[in-house]
Amino acid sequence: MNKLTVALAQSLVVAAFFAGPSSADDDEALKKDLTSVIALHGLPCGQVVAVKVQAENDYAASCKDGNTYRVYLSAAGRVVVETQK
Amino acid sequence: MAVLLLLLATGCAHGKPDTVPDPPIVATQPDAPVPVVAKPVVAKPAGPARPPPTPAAAPAPSARIPAPSAASKVAPPVAKTPAAAVLDLNTLKAELKDTKAIGFFTKVTLKNQVDDLLDQFREFYEGNAKLTMTDLRRSYELLIMKVLSLLQDADQKLASSIVSSREAIWGLLADRTTFATLQG
Repeated sequence: MNKLTVALAQSLVVAAFFAGPSSADDDEALKKDLTSVIALHGLPCGQVVAVKVQAENDYAASCKDGNTYRVYLSAAGRVVVETQK
Repeated sequence: MAVLLLLLATGCAHGKPDTVPDPPIVATQPDAPVPVVAKPVVAKPAGPARPPPTPAAAPAPSARIPAPSAASKVAPPVAKTPAAAVLDLNTLKAELKDTKAIGFFTKVTLKNQVDDLLDQFREFYEGNAKLTMTDLRRSYELLIMKVLSLLQDADQKLASSIVSSREAIWGLLADRTTFATLQG
């Protein structure tokens, strides 16, 4: 019983350890996606380094060069990029 | 038992990196805005049901003399090793939609820009455009370059197919009649 508990605890630790990268991957993919979107709009950014979720399909993206943008999907189905201060 | 679980977890961990950045985001995002995206994508080029076969077959010879025998003669441009097939519009749309090389927002942005370009063509054919055909060609080439730069590293096959289809698609857009059929 005791061994079983230890084994279970170990497996949970291992699972938690490997669960991390998945969300990190999601985060990186989102940054890459937003970087592309900002570039496609012809706006300066370089690379998105931080993303804050403001609502569903609505993000605040901070760029390596210091610019910050709000990127969101409008009701009309357009991706809008707005410069923020 | 712990060892077994550890091995299992390690196995999963190896699986992840291979698929790394793209799958997760593509899987999650489409869920929410599917209706929004689905509608426009289908709406614009609704007519391609007819055009696709024609462009696929017609421009192939002119734009790029495909794979088999030409390969040896046209040795220098070997860059496109994966025998890039000329895609019809429907296939192209589907492949762009499905590719994991670009994220959801990027796809929607590209779609917006394609729609904008189609609007410009429409205005041009209606006679109220300020743009000339040369301007439209420039816009088209720029858009293709954007798409290619997004795809070339992560989805080389699709990028090659787009390169091969480039002239075929232009042929559809630059002809008033075929463009009209694209508009449904």
